[in-house]
Amino acid sequence: MATLTVMDPVTRVEGHLKVEITIESSRGVQQVVDARCTGTLFRGFETILAGRDPRDATVLTPRICGVCPVSHGLASSMALEKAARVRVPGNGRLLRNLLLGSNYLQSHILHFYLLAILDYVRGPQTAPWAPAWEVDLREDSRLSAIAGHLVQAVEARRRAHEMGAVFGGRMPLAHANIPGGITAPPTEERIARFRDHLRFLLDFVENVYVPDVEALAEVYEDYRSIGTGCGNLLTYGVFEIPDAGKTRLFRPGVVEGASSVVQPVPLGSLSEQVAYSWYDDSTDRLNPVNGKTQPLYPKGDAYSWLKAPRLRDKPFEVGPLARMWVNGDYRQGISVMDRHLARAYEALKVARAMEEWLDRLKVGKPVYSDYQDPKDLAFGMGLTEAPRGALGHWVWIVSGKIQGYQIVTPTCWNASPRDSAGVPGPMEQALIGTPVEDPSRPVEALRVVHSFDPCLSCAVHVLRPGRGEGVEPWEPMPEMSLG
Amino acid sequence: MRFNRREFIRLCVSSGAALGLSGTVIGRLEKALAAGGEGLPTVIWLNGANCTGCTVSLANRISEDAPVDVADLFLNTVNLAFHPNLMGAAGDLAVEQIRNASLGAYVLVADGGIPTAFGGYACMVWTEDGREVTALEAVRSLAPGASAILSVGTCSSFGGIPAASPNPTAVLSLSEAAGMPAIRIPGCPPHPDWVVWTLAQLLAGVDLRLDDFGRPAELYGDAVHKKCPRKGTPPAERFGVDGGCLKELGCQGPKTRADCPVRLWNNKTSWCVQANAVCIGCTEKGFPGSFLPFYKEKG
Repeated sequence: MATLTVMDPVTRVEGHLKVEITIESSRGVQQVVDARCTGTLFRGFETILAGRDPRDATVLTPRICGVCPVSHGLASSMALEKAARVRVPGNGRLLRNLLLGSNYLQSHILHFYLLAILDYVRGPQTAPWAPAWEVDLREDSRLSAIAGHLVQAVEARRRAHEMGAVFGGRMPLAHANIPGGITAPPTEERIARFRDHLRFLLDFVENVYVPDVEALAEVYEDYRSIGTGCGNLLTYGVFEIPDAGKTRLFRPGVVEGASSVVQPVPLGSLSEQVAYSWYDDSTDRLNPVNGKTQPLYPKGDAYSWLKAPRLRDKPFEVGPLARMWVNGDYRQGISVMDRHLARAYEALKVARAMEEWLDRLKVGKPVYSDYQDPKDLAFGMGLTEAPRGALGHWVWIVSGKIQGYQIVTPTCWNASPRDSAGVPGPMEQALIGTPVEDPSRPVEALRVVHSFDPCLSCAVHVLRPGRGEGVEPWEPMPEMSLG
Repeated sequence: MRFNRREFIRLCVSSGAALGLSGTVIGRLEKALAAGGEGLPTVIWLNGANCTGCTVSLANRISEDAPVDVADLFLNTVNLAFHPNLMGAAGDLAVEQIRNASLGAYVLVADGGIPTAFGGYACMVWTEDGREVTALEAVRSLAPGASAILSVGTCSSFGGIPAASPNPTAVLSLSEAAGMPAIRIPGCPPHPDWVVWTLAQLLAGVDLRLDDFGRPAELYGDAVHKKCPRKGTPPAERFGVDGGCLKELGCQGPKTRADCPVRLWNNKTSWCVQANAVCIGCTEKGFPGSFLPFYKEKG
């Protein structure tokens, strides 16, 4: 007989998430046979941006998510710089990488030690860590060692933010990043302070975080075949390296069916589908460039405030595993543990690259190019990567005001509901087939959900790009070239 | 500053009138006190229409005074019975923690504003008895029994960005949604010290002096500009250069009350103006609407 278990709230994620799973015995194994992920918050950010000064978007959109604000700030300033045809000086781009890298490190450490790990090891026996579901956690000295690193991890995460604040002014929600570049130029003193934190963090990532994740993956080796999902991976690419052409630390690309064939991102085929989302059906299957948002609650079979973004009508998983896979850094598999491993190895790769970027900063060279709003109609697109995956901002500017603004966040990809063809989203697909011992305490399902590092705070939706005077109908975008 | 639950309840009872507690709540606290019970004072932390930035900022706490960091805060200072971003329990077991905690004395904290559009269903916080509970319902059921109500962050304090025109989800502040006064610790995000200090005063039974906007006057007493080391220096003319008063680039320091220039952020690393970023007025009731556009310089 099937059991329906509702996990609401799904805790230890950023923002509001509800997950419903149907558990049934199939081929002798009690497992998840159906799953529904629900984003339970709608804020209408893009509606708030309409009619405002374009540069306000770079202050307002980071407030979509206090865990990955740097990424929203970058996506937004990149979109505006495209629209205004402004090129950020090399020093400014290096500083953006350093600011973003700082936040990657804090986010990845936060995710493993404060959000995910309680699914595997017993935490401190006091609130907020206790109580937790009484489940049979595996006994292994390596696991107790991980639990023992909690206080150290709290310090490392904090220091990653102190590092970012050297150039950002404060973290989270620094606004030293503005359209045109960065406000704080490098000085010998700032570089030295940054380096001090970075060395500490490199040591932590290399000697604590990575070994802890490797140990976890050994003890829970069965989770290397649990939570696979759709097998399609997408990254927009991130960390532009100045003076090296279009090269980025992570190039963009898509992979289908967990293959090693990397294809360009078919942006023209990106559509947001709303058959199962609380939005008017007339807005179904639109590209973000001309998307619309008309919230409608309640609505028939709809069950989420998230839309379902699709490329070529297919769901795609985004995040560190997608970035590492597309770039050939990690292709061991797609599963719960592969997501954790790829995230940890990525932290190491980014931290090492940050050392190089820091060395390349030139004291006395500019960090900012004068930005001026485009006078005429202009369109810009900012594609980057938040710690948890592909992030895109699309902006239309008319007469110096935001006419339309559109955001598609990583968690919209991962935690999306069914699309208009009824195909479940990546996290829903990953949940299906997960063995569950006790339907009233489905910790196994929680492990699958947490492996994606969902951030529902980001789950915001599109504003209708105004059909104002002079706005051209949307034309298909060229495919992104491999950078 | 460390208190056990018993001391906290006793303080709440003795200073009940000052905290504005109703007779019913005081009666319940007295019962709890008579029933005994040890442990740390309980905090229930709700997420409204939030971005999680307030909690991430709290995790940046570092001080020579206890609680020295966020781990110390949770282990030794408060019993954080419910906090969706951090708690071990999920689903029904998480909801059970609220129900248990709300039987005794507790401080109610919320980050994020409270949406009222779509019957409140723009923000659902948990499922109970087979149905979704909205943030609005949760606040209205938990606020009346709370020993104190704390708004952490500008959204919870005043509505913040989600409430900016045209306020698409009809967001209210925590206090408006609850129909009761709240102590407000605005900031986008708030400095971790502001949150910890206020909580500590509350737990110590100190009668907090609040300004006209419900903020602790000790923290939000002076305008940022008044204490700014760049006050009176020649104006900066463009971004990306160290030094100079940022007023002509859009700095809201003169209109914004907060102690950022003296407290500094992230373990005294820096603050917005030190990084040549304008103060955006994030601790003020008018944020963001009255401060837009944020930048004045036109390239």
